Formats: sequence, structure tokens, C-alpha cells
Amino acid sequence: MNKTGIAIAGCGAVTATGLGMELLQRAVAANASALQRRELIIGQASQSVVAGFVSDAIVGQLRTADAAHADSRAFLFATAALQEAVCQTENILNSVLATRRGLVLSTTKANIEALDKLVRQQSVSAIAQRQIQPAFLAADLAVAFDCRGPVECVSAACISGLSALQQGAALIRRGLADLVFVAGVDLISQFVLSGFNSLKSLDPDGCRPFDKSRIGLSLGEGAAAIILVKRELLSSPAILLSGSGTSNDANHLTGPSRDGSGLALAIRRALAKAKIAPDQIDYVHAHGTGTPYNDAMESLALRSIFGDRVPPFSSSKGIFGHTLGAAGVLETALCVAAMQNNLLPGTPRLRERDLVAPTSLLAEPRAATKLNHVLKINCGFGGTNAAQVLERELP
Amino acid sequence: MKDFTIHAASYLGPEGFGNDQTGLRNWLPPLKEDLARGELDGLHWSLLSDSDPSRFLRMDLMCRLGFLAAELLAVNFDALPDARRDKLGVCVESFTGSLDADIRFAQTPRPSIFAYTLPSTVIGEICIRHRLKGPVLSLISPNPDGENLLTEAAEWLRDGDAEMVLCLGIEAMNRSTANSISLPENLSPRGWHGAALLLGRSGNSPREKPLASGALSEVCRNLCLAPERAC
Repeated sequence: MNKTGIAIAGCGAVTATGLGMELLQRAVAANASALQRRELIIGQASQSVVAGFVSDAIVGQLRTADAAHADSRAFLFATAALQEAVCQTENILNSVLATRRGLVLSTTKANIEALDKLVRQQSVSAIAQRQIQPAFLAADLAVAFDCRGPVECVSAACISGLSALQQGAALIRRGLADLVFVAGVDLISQFVLSGFNSLKSLDPDGCRPFDKSRIGLSLGEGAAAIILVKRELLSSPAILLSGSGTSNDANHLTGPSRDGSGLALAIRRALAKAKIAPDQIDYVHAHGTGTPYNDAMESLALRSIFGDRVPPFSSSKGIFGHTLGAAGVLETALCVAAMQNNLLPGTPRLRERDLVAPTSLLAEPRAATKLNHVLKINCGFGGTNAAQVLERELP
Repeated sequence: MKDFTIHAASYLGPEGFGNDQTGLRNWLPPLKEDLARGELDGLHWSLLSDSDPSRFLRMDLMCRLGFLAAELLAVNFDALPDARRDKLGVCVESFTGSLDADIRFAQTPRPSIFAYTLPSTVIGEICIRHRLKGPVLSLISPNPDGENLLTEAAEWLRDGDAEMVLCLGIEAMNRSTANSISLPENLSPRGWHGAALLLGRSGNSPREKPLASGALSEVCRNLCLAPERAC
């Protein structure tokens, strides 16, 4: 076995499905949605919102365990996800010097709740205020996990997660670290709700990715963590971060290009880096937000890469919503679980496939006969696109 | 790390504006006073560009700085063939990021501001203007020194992901925005500038005039992008 490259050693998640990857995988297997309706104040008015909220019980549990960070949910979520990933990699972690451990944080708005409170002149702790700044949140997470190597923070809209994974891999490739914690986190806050609400991007009844009647997205919150290591540190066959690519649509700030050419460019770059042909991709985990334009654009991009033979693909945002800066890390962790369990996720909340979507869209989860290469894609504001190929090593 | 050539460099900040060809020029009143307040408006745009300012005037301060720094490079991106623009990457590094727009949006939620509450929006603005489709990266750093950006750009160039890379270092905060909220000391704005470097593989300059390297250190002084170190 050629033991080179960047391997995934552990994953963790905190989402609307609960605390931990196991609950997330159960939701995937059941094709169940964890989106919930809550009455919230947005601006001055009360509004009914369907979104992927982390439950109050979990937030309470995390606050009890770490009272010092009680009003920084971003820190609490990220540490919980990282802790789960660390538990899976304890033996490797202990063999890597703290100075050889890096951390890359992916977020769009970090602990933005503290800014909402500052503006309203409400009380907020110094730690929570400090963690408004994404780089400080990253630095504090690095201290919490005794990571004394390079620390970075990516904030690139909804491709932040994939971009952070690419940066984490780059730190190892450049010889600056042997192990990198990649954490993605974002919150449902007044700020974020107001923004997406003002753009009229939210589906009042919950998102329906790739559905004929889809009208918008559902926000989600939470964190995910992936621990990347030098391949040499693992003894058994691993899942590798293979080729990756990014691009810009050069089209519109808050909407995707209509023809999918920008995303297709990112996918082509990732496939070329992975040195594989399109027909070697066994499954695609789509961005699939549920907005009319995004899902149509992705469908066109997939057709332009794969022609009439688009591999099985699905979107998981019907499970936990669009977690923004956490999305790329969370959905990659979900892909890793799919590869480990040979189970392709479905597309919860789908009622009737939009005819623009390729027929290989998976409504329900399905056992996979072969899952050696998986493609993960994300797109975001500012016309950004990212693609990441995951490769399963064969024994 | 001499994997690339610097094709062009530009800077704008309180002490002036310019590129490697022109050196730093002083702002004249009242522009200088505007800048002291962290304001950058149509007058500054008209000084630097002949084109329609309407899009520029919709932007937040971070985007205006990045957009102008790119204009100041004096590179005619639009004359490049599509194939070269598909391989023109853009990356940005900042400490302050979009905090100015974040505070304004938190105070007055308007859709026109929300799009600017991401530090990566400046990349989108520049890519839209010049139809650039290359790789992108947006970093928030406690001490932005350009090291990560330049390393990443060098790898894009080496691996063939990009033929050229526009690297931006931007710090921006309007004084009245900062004064409107009780920000903790460690979030205080760190300077006020936009800087741009256009990197490429050797011998492939999009410019008619070669880089005036003598002026580079002057133009890029005090910047997070320090070309001498990178080369």
C-alpha cells in the first residue's frame, strides 16, 4: 500500500440531530429531518422559522460542562465536535507533538451572537466578545486542544468548510504539521436570520432540495470536526482527501451563475488533481440548498461534467439545514461515514424531483455496492465554488 | 520560494495611493480628510478610474479598498483572453474582515449590507468586474503578514491551478462605525489600507511596462503583503 497523502483520522459533529456522529448517521439512515419550527423575533417582528436548531438540552449540557464559555455557543459547539473527533484518534494524537498539531477553523460569522448583544447593549462576557473575531475563536480552540502548530481561519462564505479542509491538507503537505484539526462552526442568530430573511431566501415550511416545488433554504447551526493526519500515521486502510478545486462564477454576489459553469470548473480542477476521470466518481454529495437557482445550477454543472451518466447524488440539508461555514466540514464528515458504512444518503423532505435534476438523485438512502471515490461540492455568496474528492484506500 | 514573478503592486491608505510605476501620491483635500474618517467615496473612485462608479458606491468599505487596489494595479484584465482569466486566482487576507459591515448590518439590517458581511465578498466583486474564474481563498488572521497567501498563491502557480494570482491585504473600519459600538480593545481596527500584488509565472506579464521594482518597497511599506520577503 502506498502510504502517502492526507488521511481522515476522525470526525465529530453537533447538529440539529444531536450530539455526535452516531445520531447524525441514524438520521441519515432513517432519511429523517431534524428541522424544527420555532417562533422567533426577527428584527422587530415575531416570525415562524423552520431551521436546524441545536436543541436547548444540548446547549444546556455543554454550558454546564464549560461555564467559562457559557455565552459562546460557537466555542461550545466547536469544542464538542472536536472532542468527539479527538476520541477517535487518541492514540495517534498522543504520538504527535503539540508543536506539530495545526488547526484550521471554518466559519462565516464565528460567535456573532455576541455582536447582536453588543449592538443591543446587552451583557456579554469578554470571552464571547473576543470570539466575534474568527481568528481569535480559532486561537482559543487551538489552546483548548493543546495545538501549538500553525493556526488558520478560513471565512469564504459557504465554501469555507471545503476551503478549510484544503488548507488543513496544505499545512501537512508543506511539512508544517503532522496532524490538523479542521473545525467548522456557525450559529443561527438574529444577524444571520435577518440577513437571509431580508434576501427572501428562506422557505417558511422548510427546505426541499432538488424538489419541483422548492422555494428556499433552511438555516442550520452546529459544528463539525475532521482530524487530518499524514497518511503514514495510520496503519489500516484510510479515507484520503484527494484532489480539490475552487473557482469563482464571476456572475453575481448573492446568486449562482445560471449555467453552472463556475462550479463545473471547480469540479474539473478537483478531478484533475485527483487524477481520476468523471466516471470513477461513485457518489456526489451536493450543496443542495433548496433555493430554485442553486439546485438548478448544480444540476447543470453535474450534467456538464458527467453527461447522461451522473452518479447517484443527494443533499442532506433537509436533515440539519444549511450550516453555512460548517457545511463543508459537516457534509464531508457525512461522506466519510457513508464510505465507511457503504450507505448512500438520501434527500430528506424531497416530494417530487425537479425535472431539471438528473434522475440519479437519491430520494432515499441506498446501500452502495462500490464507494471508492466521492465528490463533495459547495457553493456560496460571492460566486465561490469548491469541490473535494475523497478516496477510499483499498486493503 | 522564488516560484513566481510579481507583475504589479499597488497600495492605498491614509498616506497616499499608487502602484509600483507611480510610487505613492498624496491625497489632496478634501479626500485626505475623508480618508481620515475611514470614508472612501465617488471622488476617490473618479481619481482612479474612468468607469461608472455606481457599483463601487454600493460596496462596503472593505470591498471599496480591495476594488480600488485592484484598479490601481493598472493591469488591463479585460484585455486578457478568457482562458487566462479562468486561470487568474484571487485571494485575500485580513484581520478586521467584514466587521465594519457586520456592525452596520447588526444595527440596521438591510439586504444591501448583508451581502457585504463576508470577508470573501471582495473576491466576488473583483471577479465579477474582470470576469475572473480562477481559484479563490479568503483568510482571517490575527496577524496578517501575507505569508499564507503568498505560499498558497505560489502553490497555485506551481501546480498549474492558476497562471496569475491577485493577492489582497485589506484592513478597513469606518471611524463612525467603530465609535457607534463599544468594541473590546482586541477587536479595534488595525490600520486602514488596501494592497494588491499580482503574481504570475515568470515571463508572462499582462502589463506592457515591466514591474518597477525600485518603487515596490515604497508602495508596499507597512503592508501585510511584503514582496521582498516573498521573493
